[in-house]
Amino acid sequence: MSEHLIEFEPLCKEGPSRNGESILDSAQRMGIGLAGLCGGAGKCKNCKIRIIEGTVSELTPAQREVFSEEELDGGWRLACQTYPKVPCKVFVPLEAITSSQRLQVEGLEIGFPLDLPLNTVACELKPPSLTEPVPDAENLLEEINIQGPIHIDHYVLRDLSIRLREWKWRLTAHVRQGEVIGICPPDSRPLGLAVDLGSSKIAGYLIDLNSGRTLAAKGILNPQVSRGDDIITRISFAIRTPGGRGTMEELATVALKELAKSLCAEIGAETGDILEAVVVCNTAMHHLMLGFPVRQLASSPFVPVETGDLNVKARDIGLDFIPGAYLYFPPLIAGFIGSDHVAALTATADHWKNETALLVDIGTNTEISLITPGKITSVSCASGPVFEGYHIENGVRASKGAIEKVSLSGDSVHFRTIDDVDPIGICGSGILDAISQLCSAGVLDRRGHMTEGSHPGVVNRKGQLEFELVPGKEGRGNHRISITQKDVREVQLGKAAIQAAMKIIIAHNNISENDIDRVILAGAFGNYLDISNAIAIGLLPSLPLTKFLQVGNAAGIGAKLLLLSSTKRIEAKDLCSRIKYIELAGTPGYTEAFLHACYLEPYHLNRDAVRD
Amino acid sequence: MSKELVNLMVDLKEQEALDLTTKSLEQGVDPVDILAYARKGVGLVGEKFANGVYFIPDLVFAGEILKGINKLVEPYLGSGKEDDRKRLGKVIIGTVDGDIHDIGKDMVVFTLDMNGYEVFDLGINVPKEKFVEAIKETGSKVVGLSGFLTLAFDAMKETIGAIQEAELRDSVKIMIGGGQIDEQIMTYTGADAYGLDAMEAVQLTKGWIGG
Repeated sequence: MSEHLIEFEPLCKEGPSRNGESILDSAQRMGIGLAGLCGGAGKCKNCKIRIIEGTVSELTPAQREVFSEEELDGGWRLACQTYPKVPCKVFVPLEAITSSQRLQVEGLEIGFPLDLPLNTVACELKPPSLTEPVPDAENLLEEINIQGPIHIDHYVLRDLSIRLREWKWRLTAHVRQGEVIGICPPDSRPLGLAVDLGSSKIAGYLIDLNSGRTLAAKGILNPQVSRGDDIITRISFAIRTPGGRGTMEELATVALKELAKSLCAEIGAETGDILEAVVVCNTAMHHLMLGFPVRQLASSPFVPVETGDLNVKARDIGLDFIPGAYLYFPPLIAGFIGSDHVAALTATADHWKNETALLVDIGTNTEISLITPGKITSVSCASGPVFEGYHIENGVRASKGAIEKVSLSGDSVHFRTIDDVDPIGICGSGILDAISQLCSAGVLDRRGHMTEGSHPGVVNRKGQLEFELVPGKEGRGNHRISITQKDVREVQLGKAAIQAAMKIIIAHNNISENDIDRVILAGAFGNYLDISNAIAIGLLPSLPLTKFLQVGNAAGIGAKLLLLSSTKRIEAKDLCSRIKYIELAGTPGYTEAFLHACYLEPYHLNRDAVRD
Repeated sequence: MSKELVNLMVDLKEQEALDLTTKSLEQGVDPVDILAYARKGVGLVGEKFANGVYFIPDLVFAGEILKGINKLVEPYLGSGKEDDRKRLGKVIIGTVDGDIHDIGKDMVVFTLDMNGYEVFDLGINVPKEKFVEAIKETGSKVVGLSGFLTLAFDAMKETIGAIQEAELRDSVKIMIGGGQIDEQIMTYTGADAYGLDAMEAVQLTKGWIGG
């Protein structure tokens, strides 16, 4: 055997095979995520391919077992047991590929005409004189010359006269809905801030309002974490502790201030140059940031104070932007679905318009929206923080050194860490991979039970079974990284909540899986999870891989869009008016759907998925 | 037949277990024995759950099979009272005011039921007055309060307060369960005990009223 060129269709990838390499080996070396769970033994049947052109090695007994005579004649083979004899053209069915297409929207620049909620007006005023002693404000308003009533924010008036003279009567005025919110020297760069205020992470984007370009981006830890990992704990802190609500408000404000400051510092600007900010967040964060009461959010029927969008003076919450700047809070959906989900819907609109689509954002609370022509149905479920690496024995956040990919082949364990450094623990996507692969390898049964002796990696530690991904090494401290039986249970509960929510929302709309054109996965975990593994354990429904779209931080993108476009703000409001929210707890059939969903196995979204 | 039914129960083979029950009843097997085997099977499922082999849904499914068998056997029992006499005691369960999570509560109801207790399930979002009423009406000696939300702890405390006010506190044992309950929360609410899963609820009940 020698080198032969192999072309992989429909991926348009090609490369030479190496001596003695199976087609599976070549594919994996070339970065084609062809699944091979059994390590080439021909047992798992995951690596099905079809030879379009070329001659390959003789058929093996395993392949005769897997494929019918007709299929064999049609060129179907197992890649792990097939070796090229001449240059070959190979077809790879999409369901055999472990990683689906990933859209890197994180860095995507806004590709639509800007339609800013504020006008920037370049002005050159005529200095007043003894014959025409026009007051400065009147002078400015005349020059701006915008239709309709207009006034100047009184904070802007405070130093208007000084600035006009300092800048020799030349300036830029920023007008927002009939209000002058700030003045700048001529040719200054107008800045905007988009913020995705998450329960654990706050992502900020500093935007050039002239071009829509992102000038700087940064993520920081939400300091409210110090008062509780999850929203409910924070709400209870806000209610129970004297001054608790004030503390939460202050923590959020300080974090925003710091974020804005460091973003501006990165490009040599000042926070005073920020003209407008958009903050998207869940309902509890929204209320805590605005100083709204939260008690009613934490108890049935979970009602927010207000769901409409809000324009709040940045200075009212202690932010030192341009004196009259506003913070825009887009509308909320319900007690457990906030403006972050509205922003995600806004950002992904091009993917779901005129289609039937699911938008799924997996987090401690998982939000799911089903979009059908003319209607949107949303649910939220408590999936717990397992997919963020919490409540897992060796779980860590998705950061440097976290195991993010795991695969098993035969007795060997392969994994990849973020930034390719020594492993420090395992993050959400790694846990998902590990559990799915352990199922395929027969280490876990469908009930999630780990079987002793099923794999050399299974060890019994203090009466509890665990699977060692990274055995502890002597002399290096305890760096052992394992998946314990308890971890498996946590994942089962988390994914069961999501699966049951998915079934309820489908049943509610009386559609079936064939009607679904697209499943859009938003959020960090959704961006990095392996779709095949998620389907295999029933975290995501069994649909063709081509229907899944991983879009990254859609809430952040949505926040940017809402910063830059008045039209998007109107669209978001319109969207919210079409949303029907379903409260899952207490929905008939939810408990039963949840119980069935605990098993580690693929599932389908059928009309009769939920029995009452 | 005995071993076969027990095995079918343990393997959670619903249809086969029900078919076997029907066949056995037709062949004249004592219905009381059939129930005993079915209960034994459920007991073994409970053990497998405690050992980590089985998971939450399996417990519930075993309970459902038992219910099905009960239904089939009922007409063959001398009178309806026969089964009642076998009940070990009464337990009141409900998710407290302001909380509507039912999965955990349903689990406890199922498990107590299949372990032979007569369970009064008050449902979700249950006002404290309803618990007091239920104690008066049923004469239950055990009350289980469920709650998942952190705020449920306050509702538990208030419910127990209401039971005290009605001068019923000394006549009942109260257990609490749900999300993140621990010793400290138990003390805060004034309950007698707390349980982390459905099997613990059964153990607590057993300890208080036997069975």
